[in-house]
Amino acid sequence: MVNNVLRWLVNSPWSHWINSYEWIFPAIQSVHFIGFAVSIGSIAIVDLRLLGFGMRRQAPAELAADLDRWTLLGIAMMLVTGFLMFSTDAVTYHNNPSFQFKMTCLMVALVFQFTIHRRAVRPGAGPVGAKLTAGASLLLWSTVLAAGRMIAFV
Amino acid sequence: MTEPPILEWIQNTWLSQAIREGGLPYPVIGGLHLLSIALFGGMLLFTDLRLLGWAMRDRKVSEVMLQLQPWKWLGFVVVTVTGILLVWSEPIRLYHSPSFWVKMVFFTLVGLHALAFRPAVYRDPARLDSQITGQAKLAAALSMILWAGLIVCGRLIAFDASFDQ
Repeated sequence: MVNNVLRWLVNSPWSHWINSYEWIFPAIQSVHFIGFAVSIGSIAIVDLRLLGFGMRRQAPAELAADLDRWTLLGIAMMLVTGFLMFSTDAVTYHNNPSFQFKMTCLMVALVFQFTIHRRAVRPGAGPVGAKLTAGASLLLWSTVLAAGRMIAFV
Repeated sequence: MTEPPILEWIQNTWLSQAIREGGLPYPVIGGLHLLSIALFGGMLLFTDLRLLGWAMRDRKVSEVMLQLQPWKWLGFVVVTVTGILLVWSEPIRLYHSPSFWVKMVFFTLVGLHALAFRPAVYRDPARLDSQITGQAKLAAALSMILWAGLIVCGRLIAFDASFDQ
């Protein structure tokens, strides 16, 4: 069942399109990189603020409100380009331990971002909890990135 | 095509071999390079987006720029140091990679951009609080283009013929 879906992805029209020119894959990968700079960059600004570094003159809630749409845009860019890259070689990725680890961390990071993290930036959130949340958020997203890099080496 | 002898010397240094053949160091340095792209790129992007009036519009330009600056610099230092280490690990392959040379052109342009716009834009952001000058917007737009160019070329290096194995 899973294998059928994976094979269908590999043979999908978009996979054929990506494979039809050599430059398309690196172009998609570049957009993936820009996407994570937008999303992880904006998340890091809020996290650093929660930790008490940088942008101290703004409340975390204000910063988060400013940056939320950019975080979402970056996440959307990452997910769409990530899905496209995954499609071209779905079976291999599916069996790659780094990829599996990355997807697990990504799921945790996304759920964390929209639940615990969202609460920690609200006014009145306890400072210790907010700092722990920020640290965990930075660690989670860094792990997603590092695991992504490892896919090519495993 | 032969390469300058110094590249072979670099390739034979202990450091170069250790990164190239050590197993873990290469992906770890590559991972740090990527992480600092997120940090440096993210901070740079939001500085630029503020100058263009697209993000954090309710915050003063100077507040955004000055507060993001230390992190931008940290990201820049890490991305540059890890980049140099990656070059050090395989100078001959990179010498034959066209994308690497285009990337170095972009890198030079980043330096020229900083020199050109520092006096009017980056040295004293408080002046931009009342009105964002056209020059500042131009600086922001160019900076985003250069940064995207660096990322694209960096990615393309891995797809160049000299990297076919």
